Amino acid sequence: MKSKALALGLLCAVAAAGSANAQPAAPAAITIGTLYASSGPYASISMPVFDAFKLWVDQTNAAGGVEVKAFGKKIPIKLVAYDDQSSTATAATLYNQLITQDHVDLLVADSGSVLTSVGVPIAKEHKQFLFDVSGTGAAFFTKDNPYIALMSDPVSTIWPHYISDFLADQGVKEGVKTVAILYSTNDFTGTQAAALKGFFERDGKVKIVYYQGVPTTTSNYTVLINNIAALNPDAVLELGYVGNDIAFLRNLQDSGEKFRFVFSIYAGTEKEEIEKNVGISAMNGIYSYVPASDYEYKPDVGMDQKAFHAAWDKKYPPGSGVAFGANAIYGYMTGLVVQQTLATTKSLDQMAIHDAVFGLSGKLKTLDGTFELRDDGAQIGEVTPLGQLQPEGKDKLKLVAVYPPDLANGKAIIGK
Amino acid sequence: MPDTGAEARAKLVRRVILDTSIAAVVVIGMGVARGVYSNELMLFNFVMFLALAQGLNIIYGFTGYLPFGYVGFYGAGAYGFSLVVMHLHASALVGMAAAAVAALVLAVILLPLLRLSGAYFAIASMAAAQAVYEVVANPDLENITKGPYGVSLSDVFAPAFSYYIALAILAFTLLLVVWLRNSRFGMSLQAIRDDSVSAAMAGVSVVRGRTIAWLLSALVAGLVGGVFAWHISVFYPDTAFDLNISIFATVFLLFGGATTLCGPLLGVFILYGIYNVIGIAVPQYFEFTYGALIVLLVLFLPNGLVSLLTNRGIRVP
Repeated sequence: MKSKALALGLLCAVAAAGSANAQPAAPAAITIGTLYASSGPYASISMPVFDAFKLWVDQTNAAGGVEVKAFGKKIPIKLVAYDDQSSTATAATLYNQLITQDHVDLLVADSGSVLTSVGVPIAKEHKQFLFDVSGTGAAFFTKDNPYIALMSDPVSTIWPHYISDFLADQGVKEGVKTVAILYSTNDFTGTQAAALKGFFERDGKVKIVYYQGVPTTTSNYTVLINNIAALNPDAVLELGYVGNDIAFLRNLQDSGEKFRFVFSIYAGTEKEEIEKNVGISAMNGIYSYVPASDYEYKPDVGMDQKAFHAAWDKKYPPGSGVAFGANAIYGYMTGLVVQQTLATTKSLDQMAIHDAVFGLSGKLKTLDGTFELRDDGAQIGEVTPLGQLQPEGKDKLKLVAVYPPDLANGKAIIGK
Repeated sequence: MPDTGAEARAKLVRRVILDTSIAAVVVIGMGVARGVYSNELMLFNFVMFLALAQGLNIIYGFTGYLPFGYVGFYGAGAYGFSLVVMHLHASALVGMAAAAVAALVLAVILLPLLRLSGAYFAIASMAAAQAVYEVVANPDLENITKGPYGVSLSDVFAPAFSYYIALAILAFTLLLVVWLRNSRFGMSLQAIRDDSVSAAMAGVSVVRGRTIAWLLSALVAGLVGGVFAWHISVFYPDTAFDLNISIFATVFLLFGGATTLCGPLLGVFILYGIYNVIGIAVPQYFEFTYGALIVLLVLFLPNGLVSLLTNRGIRVP
């Protein structure tokens, strides 16, 4: 009798152990939660990201779903997306909604630092990994927070070093000795301005004669341009969001003032949008970053730039709303990181997701360049070359990469 | 026949008990809700707007002054909290005290605004709030306020504790309104609101009354701003001085009905509830639906929802 009971007990124990080792059942769908801003000041950077991310989701689902290593099969994606209307208060509530009510498997932030900022502590508190699309604020990345990684553009301090290197190297040779820096006071551009100031002061070759921050809401630069012109700088660096750059370039053209070197972030990174608003004559000769939307990186994963542009134009025909640009690349690129993460993660546990994302660092090459993370989740790859908008035919401009020499595909033309 | 002294006292006691019970139900209900519903931030926002709408009720409902720039005190509280926590490494509770002090100091500085009235006062208070925002967000003050680049208070981030502190602030604010509705001081404020000259001739100190109401109202907004900074822990000056906060609090107050305890509560529960439902379910219809609701209110219920009862002679707590 005793031995029968022992055998039964052993049988139960073996059965229990067997069931404990069994793989959990695969979910019917991988739920990805994200936010977007259809209105307000951040709509212009948010909607291209969201539309491109949707494009990736649609393509993936059309192919039968995303490969999830933890379950050894393809699983369809369910996208849960809410409109935060560019409001941080609404965004905070909606991040909470995605985590606590929708129980999303993966959480993707809205675009830009401001709308990402409120998601960072919430994700950390709930131990939910945050796929930070383009929130480059340096304060987001700390060693004690493993629940964040920046996907598609480098932290703000890394962005501008090619500008200062170019001016200190080629600019000085051509007589560029003074620079004016005009920036919008937000995390993204303020950090870049401070980094630039540090680079110029460190190198000591180009003197800063004007360094001024203005509110991001600034829509008239006429007086500021006159103030800068009075100091006669050789180079003018204007660092702002899309709306700032449109206003600055329009006012600069209207003022008739000429500077030998003028830089604006979005003249290149959102070329189509800026061109639509200011016209090509106001953009001719302007320096800018060369985003992946204007540069041919060889991807190991996903479409290359040309194929993606074609897919974008097919889904969102030109003139139908959101223009193609760097932010569209960021949205698609985030989809690719999600795809590769799911293809390598051991489970959907958030620390396993973290390990899978960090496991891609330095190895993943997409149309946005090489994905490379610092220990704290900050992006240090995907560095953008310096470019210049140069005429291509009669009524077209081309963004030519001019620096660094190993990435250049054209020569800079510095004004006289 | 007028009530005798004893009857009047008994009536007053019954009214105070009823008002306090309503306040207790709301506070306990919001406390229980946290255990039932896990989107804590949404509940926190409800608590925040319940307190803000009542704080605005103190100054608008009882004195007739409608400060469009009410968010200035809220922002001052948020930054009072943040500066003490960032620079002195003080505890969050000390930060809350600093939030209260910051809002009170600002209220004292802005006391001369009470010499204005109506639209002039409303606009001037908004300009004052904007001025405070510009000072806080000034890039040259980055070493002190972090300028426009935002504040990060991860060292004191404690969502659960700060939620209960927000509840305590709400309880304090509701009791303040109960007291104003049932005290001699509250009556004198309403007399000032209705006719300040007559009230002054009857021996009511108009300046003293308005000043106290102004300070109490600012104190509530400062405390709410402080607990917001604590709860959210990462924010930008645009968030802390967002004019929408003033607009929401004002709309909630007017929708429900000022001078009452229940009016602002109803306003927040209904309008902020709808705001969240629409914002999450059908965001594309958000502005249309919300705007239509407010237009209908202004056209058909200018004195708020409670006027449906008060117009029929029914007392609303």
